[in-house]
Amino acid sequence: MNRLALWLDDRLGISAVLEFMTKKDVPQHRHTIWYYTGSSILLFFGIQVVTGVMLALYYKPTLQAANASVARIITEVPLGWAVRSVHSWSASFMIAAVILHLLGNVFTKAYRSPREATWMTGVLLLAVTLGFGFTGYLLPWDSLSLAATKVGTDLPKAVPVVGVWVTKLLRGGEDVTGDTISRFFIVHVCVLPLAILAVLGVHLFLIQRHGMSLPVKAEKQGERAAPLPFWPNFALREAGVWLVLLGVLVTVAVLFAPGLGPAANLMAPAPAGIKPEWYFLFMFQSLKLFPARILGASGEEVAVLVMMAGLLLVFLLPVIDNRPAERKGRIVSWFVAAAFAYTVAMTVWSLM
Amino acid sequence: MKLKYSLFTRRAFLNGLLGGGAAALAAMFIGPAVKFIFPPYREPDEVKLPAADAASLRPGEARSFAWGNKPALLKRAESGSLQAFVTVCTHLDCNVTYKPELRKFYCACHQGWYDENGINIAGPPPRPLRRLGVSVEGDVLIIRRQA
Repeated sequence: MNRLALWLDDRLGISAVLEFMTKKDVPQHRHTIWYYTGSSILLFFGIQVVTGVMLALYYKPTLQAANASVARIITEVPLGWAVRSVHSWSASFMIAAVILHLLGNVFTKAYRSPREATWMTGVLLLAVTLGFGFTGYLLPWDSLSLAATKVGTDLPKAVPVVGVWVTKLLRGGEDVTGDTISRFFIVHVCVLPLAILAVLGVHLFLIQRHGMSLPVKAEKQGERAAPLPFWPNFALREAGVWLVLLGVLVTVAVLFAPGLGPAANLMAPAPAGIKPEWYFLFMFQSLKLFPARILGASGEEVAVLVMMAGLLLVFLLPVIDNRPAERKGRIVSWFVAAAFAYTVAMTVWSLM
Repeated sequence: MKLKYSLFTRRAFLNGLLGGGAAALAAMFIGPAVKFIFPPYREPDEVKLPAADAASLRPGEARSFAWGNKPALLKRAESGSLQAFVTVCTHLDCNVTYKPELRKFYCACHQGWYDENGINIAGPPPRPLRRLGVSVEGDVLIIRRQA
């Protein structure tokens, strides 16, 4: 046994990785709790991979069969309703965990030098995660998902020059049709998973390379307890968090399984009271409020450009907030808090 | 004028040549691949409906038909003439519905309104609904693209 381990280690070099893991420390301070958000995302991502593969065993990405195949999953396939419900809820939980992870890193300013690239890969992961949510929402192909996809894929049109082509690329033509289902499906189950694994690999590598970030105050005042070894102390605590999250997820999924509307009809008017998934509500509400014309441009042109500028600002936040401990850093914090308040307010408003 | 020294080293020149060649080769494959992912689509030049469909429409009444991949509506105006609209919202592409009791078009996605002539009157829509030309030839109703 020992010889086999040595033989393997000679070829794979695992002991170096294991040694790194046993030496890895997790700092302890008032904000240690934010460190758990990253691994929570990994938990939900893992659940999405497993339940996603299961659903793909029965799902059929065509105009005729998409809605019926989801109906079959939730009515005929043993425990299919539960698997689909877990997949749907775990998507929401994953995005909630991503948002908490982002907020934690913003408020502890974890993106400070030298962790700018870690933050930027994180923003890319956020974009890919939202892409998963957006493409997955269409697949059940009911009237809600059709209307949401028509709006979502029409938005890029407002971008000058390239916008029209982006819309065609997303839809597979001028309009949302059966081709859009195949396209969204293959992006959802192949393109985005490859993308997320690649970016996630870089993100995790950078976290190991730089170690855990400390909040500004903990770094300055030495206001912290002795660090916790990652293995086994922190890993055990994370396992506890995972267990609780798994319990909450399964409970919610069993009690509140999502329904399925009748198959989408490309010619039917949009149903009353349409709403996107909760994490797009703030954009939805903003789009309703933008007037038809603003200074010669159409309202949605302005809205799309504002959204793109917002995402770019988030991506570049470490470069903008380059003196986090000084006055400029506090001003940036106030702007971030205001943007967050706007997002929450718009979301709440759209629910009223 | 002849320079006494070269602006490029031989290595830089050869690297550029090699890199440029590789980029050109890549472009030769990427170009067709990009073409492949945009399927062809032509909007119909005209759609034919039986004229009887229109004859039974009283002023203010409407019936829907398909304009290629898009929903469309044939409506008799109060004046008695026939109108055709592509019933897709000019804001963000949702399918709109005609509400005969209000004599208005309504888009449920972001609460956009158009009057009975398809003119945007409230909410986010930036432009009127797209109109199509209607003509009757014998017992066929021909709906055409309008310039």
